[in-house]
Order: sequence, then C-alpha cells, then structure tokens
Amino acid sequence: MTLGSILHDMWDIFVKFYIGEGLLVTGVGYTLLLSAIAVFFGTILGSLLAVGKMSRIKPLQYIITAFVEIMRGTPALLQLYIAYFIVPMMLTNLNPTPIACVAIGLTLNSAAYVSEIIRSGINAVDKGQTEAARALGLTSRTTMTKVVMPQAVRNILPALGNEFITIIKETSLASNFFVGELMTTYAIIKGVTFNTVPTLIDIGIIYFVMTFTLSKLIGVAERRMKAGA
Amino acid sequence: MHDQNMLDVKNIYKNFGSLKVLKGVSTTVDKGEVISVIGASGSGKSTLLRCMNLLEEPTFGEVWIEGKLMTPVDPYLHYDVIRVSKTYKNLVAGGMEDTEAIMKIKAEDLLIEKHSAEGSEYKAMMDKIYRENHIDTNLGRRKMSMVFQQFNLFNNLNVLDNIMLAPVETAKYNKVKDLKAEKEKIEAQAMSLLKRIGLEDKAKVFPSKLSGGQKQRIAIVRSLAMNPDVMLFDEPTSALDPEMIGEVLDLMKELASAGMTMVVVTHEMGFAREVSNRVLFMDEGYIKEDGAPEKVFDDPQDPRLQDFLSKVL
Repeated sequence: MTLGSILHDMWDIFVKFYIGEGLLVTGVGYTLLLSAIAVFFGTILGSLLAVGKMSRIKPLQYIITAFVEIMRGTPALLQLYIAYFIVPMMLTNLNPTPIACVAIGLTLNSAAYVSEIIRSGINAVDKGQTEAARALGLTSRTTMTKVVMPQAVRNILPALGNEFITIIKETSLASNFFVGELMTTYAIIKGVTFNTVPTLIDIGIIYFVMTFTLSKLIGVAERRMKAGA
Repeated sequence: MHDQNMLDVKNIYKNFGSLKVLKGVSTTVDKGEVISVIGASGSGKSTLLRCMNLLEEPTFGEVWIEGKLMTPVDPYLHYDVIRVSKTYKNLVAGGMEDTEAIMKIKAEDLLIEKHSAEGSEYKAMMDKIYRENHIDTNLGRRKMSMVFQQFNLFNNLNVLDNIMLAPVETAKYNKVKDLKAEKEKIEAQAMSLLKRIGLEDKAKVFPSKLSGGQKQRIAIVRSLAMNPDVMLFDEPTSALDPEMIGEVLDLMKELASAGMTMVVVTHEMGFAREVSNRVLFMDEGYIKEDGAPEKVFDDPQDPRLQDFLSKVL
C-alpha cells in the first residue's frame, strides 16, 4: 500500500460516499447536533450544579460533588452505555430513540465538566471584588449578578468553547450505538469497501476541520472580549 | 436600652480555626472621631476593622451601629440573659450572690457548654433582645463604607458606574418610585465627587487604565457616594507607590476636617499623629493602648508600644 494509493482511495471514498451518498452532511450534521445539545443543556444543568455546589446546603454539595466526581472519574463510553440502557427503562412511555439516549448521556457528562468550569471561573474572580460589593451593602444576589458574574463570564466562555471541542470529539463514542454521527460512517463505508485506513483518515480530516475552525472562532471571540474590557 | 454611639464594638473575639486573632476587644467610635489603629502585622488591627462591618463574623461579642445590633446576641454581654439561664439559677440556688454568679459564668464560659440545656426562658430572652435591636447586615453596612488596601474597584465597570452601582442598587432595594430621576441625581453626585478629586475626565475609563493613587481616590469617593456615617480604611496607602501616597492622604485629611467619622488602620504614623484625635495600639489581639495621639506617641506606657514606635519612627 503506497501513499499514492491511500491518497487516491481517500479521494475516491470522499467523493463516492461523503459527497455522493451524502454521508458528510448527515455525519457532520448529527455530530454537531449531538454536541450542540450536550453543550447547551450541559451548560444549563452545569450552571445549576455549580450554583448548588456553591450554596450553603451541605447535603446538596455532597450529592453534586459525588455526581461530578463519578462523571469525571468513569469512562464516557461506559456512561453512554448506561444511558443507552437505563433511559428507555425509565422513560418507557416516551420510547426514546438511541440518539436521544446518547444525547442525554453526553449532556450529563458535559454538565459535570461545565459545572467545574463555571465554579472555577467564578472562584477565579478576585475575592476583593465581592468584599467591596458586600461592604457597600449590596446583597449577595446583586453582588453576583452585577459584579462577579460579568467578570466570571470572561473566564468561563473560552473554557466553554474548549468543552464544545471536547464534546465534538466525544460524540464519536456514539458510533457504538450506530446513531448516524460522523464516526458511524466508518462502519458504513468499511462494510461496503473493506478499506479502513483511507476512510479513517477522511473522517479524521473532517473532525479536524470542525474542531480547528471552532477553536479559531473561539480565539476571535476571546480577543474581542479582551478588547472590550 | 442602648446608648447611641456611632459604632460600638463589645468584647470581640475572632478565631480562625485554632488561631486566635482577637481576644476580647471593646471600643466605641463617636461621631466625628478620627481613630487610627496602629500595630505590627498580625496584631489583629485589620481583623478588628473587618469585624466592624461583618466582613468577618466575630466568634464572640457584639457590634452595634447607631444603637442597632449587627451581630447575633452574645449572652455574656446581657445580664438579663444570664439571669434567666438555668446555670445562673442553679448557682444562686446554691447560695451564690448575683454578681458572683454572673462573674463566675462569664469567667468560666458556662453558658456555651450548656447552650441547649439553658431552657426556653433563656431562648426567649435571647430572641427578644435580638428582635428589638438587630439591623439587617446590608442596612448596617450602608452606614459604614470601607476602603480597601487593594482598592477593589469593580473591574467590569467604568469609574462612573463603579461609583453609581451601590447607590443605584440601594435605590432599587428601597423601591424608589422615580428611579430614572434618582439615577440622574446619583450621577450628578458621582460627577461632583469626581470633580472634587479632579478626575471627572476619567468617568468613562475602566479601572485597569488608572494609577494606584487614582484608583484609591476613586474607591474613597465610591464609599462617599453612599453618604456613610462612618468610613473604615484598611491600610489605604500600603499598596501604593510612594509618590502616590500623598494624594490619598490629602483626600483623607480633607474628609477628616470636613467632620467625617473615620477608623483608619494605617502604617502612616505621620497621618495617625497629625490627623487622628484618637490612636489605638493593637498587639496580640488586644487593644494595648488607647488615647490621644500626643499621649500614645510621646508618652507610650506599654513596653510593646515603646518597642513598636522605636522601630517605625
């Protein structure tokens, strides 16, 4: 197998399957859809977890800490398997599709990481800012909304962008459940052509284009935010 | 039931874990007084200041602002409370004199250990004193603003918004009817404060673009915008480059001569001697000396104060 033949096969497979059969659009589409769902709902849930962990309610803190540690300390693939089997058992009436189960699994995983991003983003704001606000007689809520959060957002947004990139790569695990995202196209194409390496490199390039573009976009947003300070 | 000093600190203890920083500090601040708190690092002077506005919650003791209680009730400071406790009743039933029993309870810290066993009458008395006297922490803090060593201007707001934030939010808390007119009034006041320190051209500038001296003077007028009755200064010049100390001290002198009540934790002995009318020397968590600046500086009694002054003067 020469480099020339690999390049040739990569091109053939790309044209025939990714363009011709439309796998590029569906694969990238499902990957971005899954990532967007996981990051969007993960951010909402993660914010709630972060708020809960910073509250003074001890049992809540313990539960959230346990959840976050478990999600960070076990493989995402294992979590997806569990979600894949447990979600249909719990939501029997709704009859969730595999992709919905996977989306829920990814969301929970993402929520754990996002909650830590938000918490550390808030903790990174100088304590003096809070003290100055409280010393002026502002309530803790006003201090949070008018002083701490606007500054924390600057720490949080770039890290959240990176989480998006991580999730894009993690959606490849969903191919185990054949939900149609980008990595699933490998199994489809391999089944027809038995040509593994060129297919994998094609997929790698598509992933890379997605994540690289996103990280450049984040870089631009970050610079804009700094300029606005 | 309570005399109306501006600020009343009663028997404050503050522990950080096993570290005892304040060991029973009491003092009063009268209207118009300018008090300098001096002492070595770690003597507890900043902690005392931070206990005054409850940025640190005292472990024991009470803080009163204009006759209103900021802290929880400390039972040892109220004989009414001690007298209804079971511990007291047992001691008196055992033949002890009233004063003797109270002294014994205070000295041996007998109420804390038996807190839950002191009974409903005790709890009712504690509640009564709290209900009749306490003031919401945030309301109390609005009467005494604080200036920090590290300035702590809000980094996300420009200078004008830094000054306006607290007054505007306070107007919102108070459900002021015409908020727009109120905001205009607050802005006008903020601009006149900026003009007073010659920084009106910096109104739209963010704190990161300012020098240390400018930041601190703006932090001071930010506090002034709340029209406080007392101003607390926590080493306001310690983080400044030497050439900027003067401008901040000048502003503080101006405030003092305008009659502002001030408590200043400082290493500036010149300021303490010239501007303040009372000096507290703190050492190892106690106020070791308390008096007029001439007395404290020219005729120090406490050996630790003599030692301290020989090092800093």
